[in-house]
Amino acid sequence: MRWINLFHANLRKEYIELKRYLPNTIAMVATFYFIFLGLFAGIQFIGDPSSAEANTQYLIVNYVFWFLGLMVIQTIGWEITNEAMRGTLEQLYMSPMGVWRIMAARLASSVVLNIMIITVLLFVTMATTGQWLNIDIITIIPILILTIISMMGVGFMIAGISIIWKQVSAFLQILQFVLAGLTFISVKQAPFLVYFPFVKGVDLVRDVMINGVSLSQIGIADFGILFGNAIFYFVLGLIIFILCERIAMRKGLLAHY
Amino acid sequence: MKPIIEVKNVNKAYKKRRSKECVQAVDNVSFSVQKGEILGLLGPNGAGKTTTIKMICGLLVPDSGTIEISGIDNTKHRLRALKHISAVLEGNRNLYWRLTVRENLEYFAGNRGKSRKEVKERVEQLLHDFRLKEKEKELVNRLSRGMQQKLAIAVSMLAESDVILLDEPTLGLDVETGYEVRELLKSIVKEYERTVIISSHDMDVIQDICDRTVIINKGKVVTDDKIENLMRLFEVKSYIFNLGGLLTDQQLELLQNRFTEMTYTPDTIYSTIEVDLFQNEAIYELFDILKMENTPVESFDRVTVNFEQVFMKIVNGGEKICVG
Ligand SMILES: Nc1ncnc2c1ncn2[C@@H]1O[C@H](COP(=O)(O)OP(=O)(O)OP(=O)(O)O)[C@@H](O)[C@H]1O
Ligand SMILES: [Mg+2]
Repeated sequence: MRWINLFHANLRKEYIELKRYLPNTIAMVATFYFIFLGLFAGIQFIGDPSSAEANTQYLIVNYVFWFLGLMVIQTIGWEITNEAMRGTLEQLYMSPMGVWRIMAARLASSVVLNIMIITVLLFVTMATTGQWLNIDIITIIPILILTIISMMGVGFMIAGISIIWKQVSAFLQILQFVLAGLTFISVKQAPFLVYFPFVKGVDLVRDVMINGVSLSQIGIADFGILFGNAIFYFVLGLIIFILCERIAMRKGLLAHY
Repeated sequence: MKPIIEVKNVNKAYKKRRSKECVQAVDNVSFSVQKGEILGLLGPNGAGKTTTIKMICGLLVPDSGTIEISGIDNTKHRLRALKHISAVLEGNRNLYWRLTVRENLEYFAGNRGKSRKEVKERVEQLLHDFRLKEKEKELVNRLSRGMQQKLAIAVSMLAESDVILLDEPTLGLDVETGYEVRELLKSIVKEYERTVIISSHDMDVIQDICDRTVIINKGKVVTDDKIENLMRLFEVKSYIFNLGGLLTDQQLELLQNRFTEMTYTPDTIYSTIEVDLFQNEAIYELFDILKMENTPVESFDRVTVNFEQVFMKIVNGGEKICVG
């Protein structure tokens, strides 16, 4: 129950902020819409018409994964730095729930809201272009969730580091490109990448969307890797985050001083 | 009765980021707080008040020593100990400025695992008690400084924790608003029956609200006593002598050697000496020195001290003062 209340409070805060900063939110939604439109149209003109749908799907999946991945990786670090600057971080640290739970709840809320926005926009784009993609949501959702969990782990690592070093924005910028690169690399080209967070998930979703693989056809082994990956990175991320918290509490780094 | 907060031999040093030199912010501090008590943590700038409070809150880990809250060691079981405390550390900076008054209250309750329904009644009560009801839909960044401060305190009251820590609750407020917040604190603290620790360098706040005060200076506890005892101590021992003439240099030197905390205001018609007399013999010695030159004593009286003067004396005196 405490977990649900925590999640609900953070979901509400994220929602209030989306509503309160309506111009921002509208700009974000518009950007998404135009990128989707661009992706749909671009493929139509350039590509081979017979593979147009597969290509469109490929690009959209990559784009959505890249966007969500980046958001998940950056959000916790960004929120923590921001709250430290404003003076609310110590208040969060006074909660008996622990900051990692609050941050996980906040991130989960923002992922849920963003997925909702993206899904709606995708359908709107399909309606405007009259081009209906065949999206197997039932198969994609579990893959997406597991991928996001492993990305959260990376997000916690970065957040931990940012508590101590404060300035990680330059590092995050590089990460953005690394991540963009990773979405386009197939596991077949570089098999060791399955042990990275993120890559296996994108690969599986690609299979689902382009080759029409469905949930029941994905092997236990593939899901096993994805699942193991999610648990491993999430736990590792959390351990690093909590270690960094401890260091910060020893050195007095939670407040701006 | 076992105290609700027990601070034992706590030390904390900071390393300065650039120069690498160490600052001993808290130096072997021990004190305890009983349930229901309102304790004032008093000290000049840089004395270590904030550091002490943050260690009690579990935001800073002591280098050595232990802090127990309701018998729970707060470095070993941080989250469990936190169930018993809440705090206002940086006043209005502890709030979300882009949320409304009510949203702030509800969000912080949610972060402690409570639902909006669970806290509904308490939120109403607090909005009423803190006179924030008609501002409940206002964004925090539109509130006055005093209102923000009140809201921050209300947020800390919402948690229903046994202990509330307030670091400098009137800092940065103008005289009038400071007074208002003080009055509010006074009534709320009594009404809500919490254990409270207030840090401040504002003597009026401490004298007004607290039962007992721990005075720290340069990281060390210099005094730990009931405020009325401290007042009485200095009230009884501080005297002012009105003289019908000047002291000679020799007299002055003797007096200054004997009474370190003496102030002499020379005037040809009406000089005064202010002096602390801790033992009875001291007063005879003083008269002996005056008698040397037959200096006329027009009158003498006990000095009525305020808490500020007591505080200054304790802090500047340096050495530990034992009472009782
Ligand atoms: N995070 C920090 N890093 C380094 N030094 C610090 C830090 N926090 C406090 N100090 C130093 O430790 C000493 C005690 O500071 P502290 O903030 O506890 O005092 P205070 O009694 O709260 O003072 P004030 O009345 O100014 O708030 C000071 O010398 C201060 O410069
Ligand atoms: Mg302070």
